[in-house]
Amino acid sequence: MNSAALRKEYPTLRPMSDRDQSAVNSVNARLTAPVDPDSDESLLVETGNSQSTEAFNRLFQRYSSRIYAMGMKLTRNEQLSKDLVQEAMLNVWRKARLYDLDRGTAQSWIFTITRNRCFDMLRKLKRQPNCVTADDIWPQDNGSESAILPEEALHEEQGSLVAETSIIASYCKQLPEPQQAVIEQIYILDRTHDEAAEILKIPLGTLKSRLRLGVSKLRQLIGVDL
Amino acid sequence: MNIDLDCHPTTEILNKYVQGSLPTGWNVVLSAHLELCQKCRHEYGDLESAEVLSWSKGPVEEVANDFSDLVSNIIQQPQHAAADTPLPQESSITEIHMLDHSFTLPRVLAKAANDGLEWKKLAGGINQAKVNIDTETQCEFIYMSPGSQTPMHRHQGNEITLVLDGSFSDASGTYEAADFVIRNSEDEHQPVSEEGCLCFAVLDSPLTFTQGLARLFNPINRFKFRKTIAHQS
Ligand SMILES: [Zn+2]
Repeated sequence: MNSAALRKEYPTLRPMSDRDQSAVNSVNARLTAPVDPDSDESLLVETGNSQSTEAFNRLFQRYSSRIYAMGMKLTRNEQLSKDLVQEAMLNVWRKARLYDLDRGTAQSWIFTITRNRCFDMLRKLKRQPNCVTADDIWPQDNGSESAILPEEALHEEQGSLVAETSIIASYCKQLPEPQQAVIEQIYILDRTHDEAAEILKIPLGTLKSRLRLGVSKLRQLIGVDL
Repeated sequence: MNIDLDCHPTTEILNKYVQGSLPTGWNVVLSAHLELCQKCRHEYGDLESAEVLSWSKGPVEEVANDFSDLVSNIIQQPQHAAADTPLPQESSITEIHMLDHSFTLPRVLAKAANDGLEWKKLAGGINQAKVNIDTETQCEFIYMSPGSQTPMHRHQGNEITLVLDGSFSDASGTYEAADFVIRNSEDEHQPVSEEGCLCFAVLDSPLTFTQGLARLFNPINRFKFRKTIAHQS
């Protein structure tokens, strides 16, 4: 998210300092770290929380040949399968911070990334129209509550983001106060759901439903005016 | 929901969908059905868990390449922060309006229709809007106006029809919203719709219908279909 644009809209917000960030990280770690430090889940959380190249290396060793195998099964082509290893593991690295233990195992998270990247790669290669992508095609959370939360929809194009961000921020003010507060915590201050619930002193379920309401209201507002 | 006929994808098809080995057109119609059908959503969840398990326990291919350069390249890349994630883009078309009906499209169909739909009137009160999704299938929205009747026809390859709104009938039954209807080249049919019907249909393109998909999309439904016909005559 573009912080300059947001600071204009939210003048009271200051950018997060390194100290804030490390405090957040340690809260993250306490809230979400699974017990076995050598489990795939721990390694993934560590990759995301502290950009640990050590943890990422181990994930790479555990998964690259499986990803390659899935590539061979789907493409029957060695070069494409190697490309898939690169593409999928790059996504694991880049999205590691978005991984959340509530979403299931690391295996299933990496499986989904691999299948979806393979699909998009093949469509690009075959020059198919880009009207639908893997993220449109596969259900993202099997119908659970968080399925429609926007963290899930990652868009690679960053071009129009600056403009979008400031527009979104201005629409935020039209939301009811409680929804506004939740959206600020999650999208502007980059807090986890757990942290935000603690700070706002509301139950996690309430936070999630306010977030969902707020986001869908935002979509409506933006849909009407753009 | 149709009671007599099984109007859901077979487990075999759902499994191919989980694995990602189907042409895009079939994936799209399956995704849309899942959004409308809780039963299949649950089955999908179970199949996916099983697939993930067999993937993570199954045999691996030894990779000849040394990937060490790759790792060091990857870790140079910036990571996404949660706040980097913009709100999902809404499709510009989320509803289809037909006469006095309007219907909210499943997410994937809204995306597929995003470039706009060009409706063409066909014989018998049928309207068709093609959507260009891939080269292996032909995808289209079909709107049957109330009282319409398609001519008796057969297809090369397979045809899947997902009912989105209203209903239609043919010799084997009546199909309602969310029903997933599979027909293949041996089925001759003549759908009619009394109340009007909006569908999304996927057909094997003439180029690919011989390539193994025919085996996939078949037998049990066809068997039931024949039995139904036999009972009626
Ligand atoms: Zn179903």
